[in-house]
Amino acid sequence: MRNNFKSAGIRHLSFNNLPIRYKLIIHFLLISILPSIGLGFLIHWTVDRVLDRQVTNNTLQLIGKVNESLETYVENLQNMTFLVAFNPDVQRFLESDRELGSLQESAQEEDHYDIRKFLQGFTTLHSEVAGIMIVNSDGKYISNEMYARTESDLTRESWYQEAVRNKGIFKIVGHPNERNVTNHVNYKNSEVVSAVRAILDPDTQQVKGVVLIDLKLRVIAETAQDVRLGKTGYLTVIDSNGELIYAPSDPYIEHIPLEWLNKDSSGTHSHQADGRKLQFIYRVSPFTNWTTVGVFATEDSILEIREIRFYVVSFVFVVCLLGMTASFYLAHSISRPIGQLMSFMQKAQSGDLTIRYWGDRSDEIGLLGRRFNEMLLQINRLISLTERQEQQKREAELSSLQAHIKPHFLYNTLDTIHWVARRKGAVDIAEMAESLSKLFRIGLSKGNVIIPLSDEIEHIRSYLQIQHVRYQNKLDYVLMVDPAVQELSVLKLILQPIVENAIYHGIKERRGPGLIEVEAKEQGSNLVMTIRDNGKGMTEEQLSKLHRALEQVVSSEAEPGAGRSPREDWANQTAGAVRRGQETKGYGILNVQARLRLTFGDKYGLSLASTLGEGTVVTVTHPLIRDEYNLNGVDR
Amino acid sequence: MKKIWIVYLLLIGFFLLYVLDYRSQSQLNEQWKTAGLRGEIDEKYVMVTFQMGIDYWKSSLKGFEDAAQALNVSVEYRGSTQRDIHEQITVLEQIIAKRPAGIAISAIHPVDLTETINKAVDAGIPVVLFDSDAPGSKAYSFLGTNNYSSGVRAAQKMAELTNESGQVAVVTTPNQQNHQERTDGFLATIQRDYPEMKVVAVKNGKGDQIYSRQSAEEILQDYPDIAGIFATEANGGIGVAEAVRENGRDQRPKIISFDTDKGTLDLVKNGDISATMAQGTWNMGYWSLQFLFSLGHDRNTAQIAGMPPVPEQVDTGITVVTRHNVDDYYAK
Repeated sequence: MRNNFKSAGIRHLSFNNLPIRYKLIIHFLLISILPSIGLGFLIHWTVDRVLDRQVTNNTLQLIGKVNESLETYVENLQNMTFLVAFNPDVQRFLESDRELGSLQESAQEEDHYDIRKFLQGFTTLHSEVAGIMIVNSDGKYISNEMYARTESDLTRESWYQEAVRNKGIFKIVGHPNERNVTNHVNYKNSEVVSAVRAILDPDTQQVKGVVLIDLKLRVIAETAQDVRLGKTGYLTVIDSNGELIYAPSDPYIEHIPLEWLNKDSSGTHSHQADGRKLQFIYRVSPFTNWTTVGVFATEDSILEIREIRFYVVSFVFVVCLLGMTASFYLAHSISRPIGQLMSFMQKAQSGDLTIRYWGDRSDEIGLLGRRFNEMLLQINRLISLTERQEQQKREAELSSLQAHIKPHFLYNTLDTIHWVARRKGAVDIAEMAESLSKLFRIGLSKGNVIIPLSDEIEHIRSYLQIQHVRYQNKLDYVLMVDPAVQELSVLKLILQPIVENAIYHGIKERRGPGLIEVEAKEQGSNLVMTIRDNGKGMTEEQLSKLHRALEQVVSSEAEPGAGRSPREDWANQTAGAVRRGQETKGYGILNVQARLRLTFGDKYGLSLASTLGEGTVVTVTHPLIRDEYNLNGVDR
Repeated sequence: MKKIWIVYLLLIGFFLLYVLDYRSQSQLNEQWKTAGLRGEIDEKYVMVTFQMGIDYWKSSLKGFEDAAQALNVSVEYRGSTQRDIHEQITVLEQIIAKRPAGIAISAIHPVDLTETINKAVDAGIPVVLFDSDAPGSKAYSFLGTNNYSSGVRAAQKMAELTNESGQVAVVTTPNQQNHQERTDGFLATIQRDYPEMKVVAVKNGKGDQIYSRQSAEEILQDYPDIAGIFATEANGGIGVAEAVRENGRDQRPKIISFDTDKGTLDLVKNGDISATMAQGTWNMGYWSLQFLFSLGHDRNTAQIAGMPPVPEQVDTGITVVTRHNVDDYYAK
């Protein structure tokens, strides 16, 4: 049983062994903090995902818009090249080579002046144009803003060749690196993007010349820079060769390899670069062949996410703080009175029964405290009752002892009488005195309460012997003691008062000789002693009166009585019983009954049966006591 | 009970650390955003000129754009396509309606534009003037060449070239204030400092190559002994040089021109033009935007009370370009 219980306890974890305070704290913390942390994580995760998706979508849309406006600019450039080619002065300039000499030099100059004025119109309307240059197949050129650095032939330049290769199709050649053309206004190569278009003779498909337009990069930069991606994201534009058209001043990555981006016309791509994870969102413009790329550092979450995370963490912190405070307070308020109660109980356990729980709480703890107080009261009451009973017993013993102190002197005297009688030859007297002295000696029995049954029987025998001498033939007696019970111990002087009763109220009142049988034997788990006489017996009234008296002794112990002081109650009843006993003839019997009951409990005691004219039987039920010292020890 | 205080302290400590970390990172962001003096890309500053296609403005516009690049703002270039006061007013009205972050104006006329400029300033738009002033307006600043002193410089150079004697002439645009000031400076200096010299003609070149050429031809015809011609602007200088070359005399008059466009520089290089006056046009554009940005961002809050937030007058300087230093003025 016990082992089972223990292993079950281990199975329930040592949680059960924790003080209630910690249990409560853990409980409160679990229900306050765990859900809020969980909620925080959930919010963070969701927001992260949703925002990430939205940012990607938004970025793609923004990139689309940027591409659109870039396309508009480039389209404008293309239109300019056409407008330039349509101009008759320009046409003349382009063909001047073939009709050399047909025009006057002054007329030619006038044409050039007109062309410059015409070109000025474009830069008037389009401030994003850094310069326009028209080169004919001879390598002669006209421009307001640009001129060749050296005299070398411009038709050998790579951009010119590129234009020729494209056969009249507009082409963006990117940054003008290593070309022999410079801009008077000092636009650096990195500040412009060049576009070229060859002007063809529609009949012969011969290249008549090339229009070169420089677009200020600032326009593209403004378009791309206007877009802010997340926290530190930016837009960059690269051309179809992977060359950078535009990038902000401090990019994450200097060069984006084309193979990362060329799978589709648009998409996303992640890549490790420079020790950090970068995310690229890109879209190719089919018209310009430029790819606009949004670049993010993946670990730098979006500003909004950081803000949301900050609020979530703050919230969890506040909940933790409040939850902790609340749980500690609650746990304290619940466990402290329990602890107090426990210490009260400990004090009570260690013997201080005057301790009381003080408190005006009306919750369970308060109720428990009041019950505890009541319990202590009850215990006190019972203890004082027990004390009183003990005292009662002592008093009874004392009175029986006192009853024996006087006989002590008698006992010595009797001994003297015995010897004097024997010397004088008075056998009767000597025998009587001896019996009497024996009677007293056993009656005293050194003050012991419990004596061997043999002694008790000897005592009775002595008593009967004396009575026999006194009543001569009128009294006969038989002692039938089972040898098996000889060694048992019994309460002292329980038989004598009964036998005395039997002689004085039974045999003496009877005519003719009477017989008293005393029998002792083991019956069940009890020692049963029976005193039988064939004397006068009792009337019904007397018998029932005696029964009541005996039961009152019993009832006074079984029911201490509610309301009245049990001690008082008991004393009254006992006194009543004793008084009535004196009036009748039951004092000795009631005394025996009281002593038996006080010593052994209600289970034991006397029972009476009597028939008028035929005799009385008194049965004493006594526990089997094999070791008198044990009982004496306990008794003491 | 001590244990719980430790837990509290730890919790609060961790939270404080987190807050500090968050704040420092936010500040890092701010720093990243406002590293140096940087604006927002959607702040739009507008440069307004007249005759907006001509080469002369391109250098100022470059300065304006370079400042925009440095300050991370965007710029727009607008203006009248011709020398037309009404067109410029209309364009300026349109720009004010769009409420840009600032306007830099080159005033076509010193008085007629004042009302519109004041309207912009009253609307809370910072305005500065460059190159051509409108002195009566509420504009915060004027950045440009001190035209009178540039005329003085031209006169001194002319005297140096002609050994302080002889007849000289001026080809200018009389109805434009800056050209008038240059002419005034030139005339006054010749009259005051060089008694041997005489200004015999002041002709209108209308700021155009052809007209200036015609004017120069007339001068050459009227005064065969002319020692020098001062053209107050670049197109005029080229026209005058053409006329002188066509004239084909042995003793060519010395020509002093204005500004440093490619044509003028080429002529300086081959000796047709003896000297040209280089204005700080890039500086005009660059510092115009810097001033506008400063006005728009209240960068000068720590200034002394009563002082204007930006200098009211800035002389962007003048340099005499001759054959010796002309190479420095070509584009690299």
